[in-house]
Amino acid sequence: MHLLETRDLTHIYRGNVHALDSVNFIAERKSRIAVIGPNGAGKSTLFKHFNGILKPTSGEMLVRGEPITKENVREVRKFVGIVFQNPDDQIFSPTVEQDVAFGPTNLGLDKETVAHRVEEALALLGIEDLRERVPHHLSGGEKKRVAIAGILAMEPQVLVLDEPTAGLDPRGVADLVAFVNRLPEEYGMTVIFSTHHLDLVAEMADFVYVMDQGRIVASGTVDEVFTRPDLLARTRLDVPPIPKLIRSLQESGVVINTAYTYEDAKKSFLDAYARRA
Amino acid sequence: MIDDLYAIEKYAYRESLVHRLDARIKLLVALAAIVAIVALPYSTKVYELGAVLFALFIALWATSRLPPTAYLRRLVLILPFGIFLIGFQVFVKNPYYDIFHTIATLPFGIEVYAESVQFASILLVKFVVSVSFIILLSSTTKMQEMIEAAGRLGLPREFTLTLGMMVRYIFVFADMFGRIRTAMETRCFDPLDRTLPYRYRLHQVGYTVGTIFIRSYEQGERTYTSMLCRGYGANAGLYIGKKPLRAGEVVFFAATLAFIVLSTVLIYLHP
Repeated sequence: MHLLETRDLTHIYRGNVHALDSVNFIAERKSRIAVIGPNGAGKSTLFKHFNGILKPTSGEMLVRGEPITKENVREVRKFVGIVFQNPDDQIFSPTVEQDVAFGPTNLGLDKETVAHRVEEALALLGIEDLRERVPHHLSGGEKKRVAIAGILAMEPQVLVLDEPTAGLDPRGVADLVAFVNRLPEEYGMTVIFSTHHLDLVAEMADFVYVMDQGRIVASGTVDEVFTRPDLLARTRLDVPPIPKLIRSLQESGVVINTAYTYEDAKKSFLDAYARRA
Repeated sequence: MIDDLYAIEKYAYRESLVHRLDARIKLLVALAAIVAIVALPYSTKVYELGAVLFALFIALWATSRLPPTAYLRRLVLILPFGIFLIGFQVFVKNPYYDIFHTIATLPFGIEVYAESVQFASILLVKFVVSVSFIILLSSTTKMQEMIEAAGRLGLPREFTLTLGMMVRYIFVFADMFGRIRTAMETRCFDPLDRTLPYRYRLHQVGYTVGTIFIRSYEQGERTYTSMLCRGYGANAGLYIGKKPLRAGEVVFFAATLAFIVLSTVLIYLHP
């Protein structure tokens, strides 16, 4: 049984817009999954099926092996938390603390439990000092953290992030990557995210789905996907600079190991230089 | 609900002779029909003109190849606004008659008069014909075309720009509302959920409304700033390109207008 599974999931919006076409997607426990693809590929539409915001036109959306029904949709939303791209859509309470408390309160938890969860979520994202602040006085990066805290306070098993790095400064992106990478190991969570920052995919994901025009056109490990530059080019994406550079060097006859993350690349280059010396 | 907003123009995006017709002509024909039925002085002749204009409407609707149910559904939506006023008339006297004949007596001394029923039915004919032409216009013409047509016909640019932005921002606003609603659903909030305290739900709905107001205001400010950056000032307006009428369109317009005017005048003069 998979945590999340779609079987030939197809979604057609009003006006006969085919947003998803026979999508087969699987998420396992403690995995880190990236969904990449150009604008309008259907990533957000797919995510909205994960917690029953959208219903399949045909095909199945299974959460822990069960389809989403009216009876279990609350459970599903507790289980799968989605952080949307624009934090402003998500933050509507007068203060940060109240906004983070919004989800747990809706779950019908008692006051102490809600307070405890708010405390944990704020601490996890390091934003305890923002507690009393009003949302429209926060910076973009702070808003993003508040939005994530609001979802984490519901203690989901699956965290879905739609374009989590959009609009963040480099430090904000680095913090986010470090934070997200802690979740599977420390909390046993599954993280699914979409991004256009392809250099982050290797840093944040173990498995990659490539989407284009509502279909999954490729899937595999980071290695398997990034060794297909033609596929990425066809889907308006590109191989990130590090593997691209290493590939060029290899094609010019330099003996160097393929690498995708910064740390691995550093090691490859040092090895290659060491061999030359 | 709000999702229906995106489908509001689905009929206007279809293809037919009537759809292709220049929006100016459709606008003027609808206006002519409404002016004709409203201007005809009060008498039973309104029935005759009403029948003639309604026949014209049916012919145009058939040409537009839209389903009759589309018309009926829109009519039913608009009817309550007029029906209340019209229905009320059968109980009261009006200045067009001197003698009133009671045809029914209800409790509390309320009486229904034959003359008042006639008055109400004439009102109904005027109302239905006017509304039908508006429905025809709105079901076969895109909002943007309507604004451009009004601009080409000489509506001042202050109005066309404002109307154009209104149409644009209705959809921006609907999008904003849709996203907030999705975010609330994601965190299991349902304003009708009885397991949550009433006051809490009321608070949250209040915050949502407040958020939408603040964000609309901010959006307005951002848009205005970017308009200024692109040289918006007293002389700015909506760009409306030239669009000459085709010969067929002119002929159709002349014929339809002549038909409406002639039938009105003839019915009016006919003893």
